[in-house]
Amino acid sequence: MSASARLDAITAVTQERRPARAVPLVAVGRVLIVLALLLFWQVASDRLAAQLWVSDPADIAVRLWRWTIDGTLGLHLLATIEAWGAGYVTGGLCGIAVGFLLGIARFADRVLSLFIAALYGLPKLALLPLFVIGFGIGLQSKIALVATVIFFITLYSTRDGVRDVDPDLIASLRIMGASRSEILSKLLLPATLPWILTAMRISVSITLVTTVGGEVLSSNRGLGFLIASSSARFDTTGVFAAATVLVAISAVVNALLTGREAGASRWRG
Amino acid sequence: MAMSAAPPRRGERRLLVVVLRLALAGVILAGWEAYGRLVDSSLTSTPSDIAAVLAGWARSVLWLNLGVTLFEIAAGLVLGVPAGIVAGLFLGRARVAGALLRPIVVLFYSVPFIALTPLLIMWFGVGSASKVMLIALSSFFLLFFNTFAGAQEVDPDLVAMADIMGASRRERFVKVIAPACAPRILSGLKTALPFALIGAVIGEMLAARAGLGNLLMDSGNDFDMAGLYAALAVLMVVGVVMNALAQRLETWLLRWRP
Amino acid sequence: MDEPVIELTGVAKLFDARGVIAKALDEVDLVVRPQRFVALVGPSGCGKSTVLNLVAGLLDPSAGSVRYRGNPVERPNRRVGYMTQKDTLLPWRSVADNIGLPLELACRALGRAERHDRVEQMMELVGLAGFGRHYPSELSGGMRRRAALARMLIYEPETLLLDEPFGALDAQLKLVMQQELARLTHLRQMTVLFVTHDLTEAIALADEVAVFTRRPGRIRRLCKIDLPQPRDIVSVRFTPDFAGYHDLLWNELKEEFGTGGDA
Repeated sequence: MSASARLDAITAVTQERRPARAVPLVAVGRVLIVLALLLFWQVASDRLAAQLWVSDPADIAVRLWRWTIDGTLGLHLLATIEAWGAGYVTGGLCGIAVGFLLGIARFADRVLSLFIAALYGLPKLALLPLFVIGFGIGLQSKIALVATVIFFITLYSTRDGVRDVDPDLIASLRIMGASRSEILSKLLLPATLPWILTAMRISVSITLVTTVGGEVLSSNRGLGFLIASSSARFDTTGVFAAATVLVAISAVVNALLTGREAGASRWRG
Repeated sequence: MAMSAAPPRRGERRLLVVVLRLALAGVILAGWEAYGRLVDSSLTSTPSDIAAVLAGWARSVLWLNLGVTLFEIAAGLVLGVPAGIVAGLFLGRARVAGALLRPIVVLFYSVPFIALTPLLIMWFGVGSASKVMLIALSSFFLLFFNTFAGAQEVDPDLVAMADIMGASRRERFVKVIAPACAPRILSGLKTALPFALIGAVIGEMLAARAGLGNLLMDSGNDFDMAGLYAALAVLMVVGVVMNALAQRLETWLLRWRP
Repeated sequence: MDEPVIELTGVAKLFDARGVIAKALDEVDLVVRPQRFVALVGPSGCGKSTVLNLVAGLLDPSAGSVRYRGNPVERPNRRVGYMTQKDTLLPWRSVADNIGLPLELACRALGRAERHDRVEQMMELVGLAGFGRHYPSELSGGMRRRAALARMLIYEPETLLLDEPFGALDAQLKLVMQQELARLTHLRQMTVLFVTHDLTEAIALADEVAVFTRRPGRIRRLCKIDLPQPRDIVSVRFTPDFAGYHDLLWNELKEEFGTGGDA
């Protein structure tokens, strides 16, 4: 279809009616809304609600600055990233490997699928006490938790990807004389790659939430620990400061993964 | 109907799958039991102990705790889901407000509510209210984001068609925009259900007087491994049932899709 | 009574396609009087569909004016029925529910039983009897076109805007549907603006045929088809007059195709 034929399509209508000149205004409006919200928070604190419970933006900024200077932030941020990254890589790789095997060995998959679905249905954070008893309160228990979460996501996605490969393609490669390993490397792996990448992408934010959630429940370091320990001291400013860092990481990661503004359309699937 | 001489291969295989599943479950349980009894049960407990704990709970604490967790999930979803859908539909269709609020929407999308559980417990106390709020908040935003995206993606041709046919604003909303968002709304719901369970459990694990998470955490704190596994087993059942329900709902509501 | 239903005066339409301004229509004048059947033919991308979008009120002209019964068209025009090139059936409604949609709307709401009867009749008419409970995704392209046509015809709007309504149909069915359209529009005294690629179809159905130039589209020639109405869509093709019109218009059209464009 030529470009001009597409012009004729009714779809052009809506694009057309979106006034182009409004764009800078929208940007200004957005900034104003954010500033207004922050200002409202600042002013309302201690007037509409006690500062003890809601803190205020200025206090939070000061706290963040102090934490940055005295190294608190660095220490906890690093711990979170370490647990997050290690769990992500190990769990992701295991999930891909098992998913691949199950995708190829369909009968085994049918037998095992019930057990996998049962484990998948379990809210993974509930496994934390078990991991803490097994691995201690430090990084390892969080790594195990994160690895469990991503394991199932990549497993399912990889398995579905392998299954999705057209059997005719496999047959035609066989006829060409391809060996098993050649079929694997020349067909199954590249065909499954997009599925794996999607799963890895979806998992980034889910595993971040899991890491911090695990740290909130039981840990001695990390952003989640910072949130939990601040709240235990009724230090709302500390909770918000740590949460701000978390939201910032999460926003950056989401923006990198989904491209500009596509965020709302691909929530953790 | 008479038995055919050669039953279809598929049926035979299905039976084989069932048999193998049972056998595998048997082997796992037996191996687990043997390991616990003969080698070391300090971490793994044994299936028989776990079963005993479950049987004991079934006559005492299980139902109350299960009820509390289910209540929190239900109440949170009831508060969060409809509000999220309505807000998403309206803001998604309001062109100016939608454009202005988009970055804020994207920012809120990045807020990991589960990590804010301590704050909610600070605000709403140790009881069920904090869990209900946590679930309501996370399900509200999940539904809101999805519906918002769905409402912005509605095929403008369909809306124009309804306009030309003479649909009123309300009819356009009810007959075109809302159903067009259904797939998005359902994918939001499918994510919100497991999140609600996680929210209830993490809230109860952190600080609560009752609930499955509380049961789990108490067992963990006492190093009562049989209790820990028993609580996990119950949670697993709840999780599987919730996933299955969400799946059913989606298949039924989206039966028009190719 | 002879006041024009549709009146385009000096209409131009510009599109902004990713920063590149393209002119779809230029200086188009067109008058459609009541109960006339006007066909627009021309190379693809010449802006014929844009004309329909303007009359439907889905686009605003960049210059000139578009009037409907004397009033400028500003909002979506609710007095027309519009069948777009793309099918706009609601995918979550069954075929019967799609066809019945216009009769559900408050502006012409009918009772359930009467609606059901009219839908059944309409499905019979377009050859979809028995497919009422299917979803659009379960139908072939041609069947979806017919469902869209039925949905438009069921509420008998005074004016029809049709954008290649029969393009995807097989030859046999196309004839049946053309005959049905001719009969119905004549019977209900409808005014029709009809976009097509098919010159034969245009001559067989229309009272007037407007030949468009390549983009930017202008009306190259407006030709009255003086064949008696109502016509038999099949036999009319074998009359000498028909052949004359065909030759005449084909020579006009050929030049637009011959000199390039992106058809």
